[in-house]
Amino acid sequence: MTLEGWVPQINDYTSLREVVDFAFDYRGNTTVVKTNGKEVVGYIFNREADAPEAFLQLFDEQGDGPFTIPYRDIATIKFTGKDTAAGNSWKAWVERKEMERALRAAASGADRVGRDPGPDGA
Amino acid sequence: MSVPVSQMYTVASYILQQKLRRRKRYPFVLMLEPMFRCNLACAGCGKIQYPAQILKKHLTVAQCLAAVAECGAPIVSIPGGEPLMYPDIDKLVTELVKHRKYIYLCTNAILLKEKLHLFTPSKYLTFSVHMDGLREEHDEAVCRDGVFDEAVEGIKAALQRGFRVTTNTTLFDGASPLRMREFFDEMMDLGVEGMMLSPGYSYSKAPDQEHFLHQTRTNQLFSEMLSKPKRRWKFNQSPLFLRFLMGKKDFECTPWGNPTFNMFGWQRPCYLLQEGYAASFQELMDGTKWENYGKKSGNEKCRNCMVHCGYEATAVDHTFSSLKGFAETVSVSLSGKL
Repeated sequence: MTLEGWVPQINDYTSLREVVDFAFDYRGNTTVVKTNGKEVVGYIFNREADAPEAFLQLFDEQGDGPFTIPYRDIATIKFTGKDTAAGNSWKAWVERKEMERALRAAASGADRVGRDPGPDGA
Repeated sequence: MSVPVSQMYTVASYILQQKLRRRKRYPFVLMLEPMFRCNLACAGCGKIQYPAQILKKHLTVAQCLAAVAECGAPIVSIPGGEPLMYPDIDKLVTELVKHRKYIYLCTNAILLKEKLHLFTPSKYLTFSVHMDGLREEHDEAVCRDGVFDEAVEGIKAALQRGFRVTTNTTLFDGASPLRMREFFDEMMDLGVEGMMLSPGYSYSKAPDQEHFLHQTRTNQLFSEMLSKPKRRWKFNQSPLFLRFLMGKKDFECTPWGNPTFNMFGWQRPCYLLQEGYAASFQELMDGTKWENYGKKSGNEKCRNCMVHCGYEATAVDHTFSSLKGFAETVSVSLSGKL
């Protein structure tokens, strides 16, 4: 399951703290929408929800930073970047290896049939 | 055990100093991650899944050295990412050797042969080559054919030039004890100084979530693999840690034993869990709620973890905490019976 594409609405059911936690755990870029309407795209690598002034930290899309943004300045966070932990490359590798094994098994089976003289020795 | 005497002496005197100072928590190995970029994408690895701008970034040598000084651990392990892709790896190693730190440069060895000329053999520098088993198992674990053979070539070239070389092996569910015993023979035939073993940790970000070992299965696998160990097998790690993996000892995790520093700061609480970052080593030590981690804490993320970065420090500390622990370590080391 991936949160890629999620645009949460902060309301009574979804708190900003929860959304920041999800964004912190997300291995892709997100877009932090500030209360003043400005947006910052980047990778959130840290958050301190229990600090006297709760904040998150990110590196922006260019890799500059770290930038610190207080929770009170955040309206929401959009999960806009690709989820790099989605695991597709490994799945593709496993599928390819399984295909190779099946082909090898089929080839060795065909080889045995070709060499097998059969019950009557023909 | 195959750790050289000078290294054992350094580690022993460091730990005794900590004991004399009555330091309750002290670091044993600094895990220094200069960058996350890698030339492989292994199934069990949760270290490299980052957006492009993060993978392009790396620490400076000055930042690395500041972290080493701040931490004070006698051993510096350089994982990653692939550290041989770090553009200043030669400068970093040279500086660490000057500071008399024992370095374990953890590499998949794909670039080892090509980059060996950047380094000078030293008792302080060990190439710790990632080898997850014999050819078939290793290539499958790293998701690329041919890597085992490249690593073997790298190991041979490094040994030929007089470098210290060890292997580090992560084991997952489905590993065959018999095949692993063949693997130990093959590595010793190559001439490596010693081998390091650990069960894998179930990184939530790793692509393969199905094959991480649970505690009972870990005990079973390591017992079968290490029962009646051949005398020629050398392990570059605490024998008590191996006994722990076999289920013969019960240890609690020492999450502060192998603190981790990378471009995000000091990772809380350990090398495997990423629950936030501290701005300084002191902040990491003083501000982390250590009671929330380890098996006793009941933390679900720690329940099945038996990884060396949490438990080897416990095993080493145990050796120096009592005469009994010391005697046990000496006895196992001399007899070779785990």
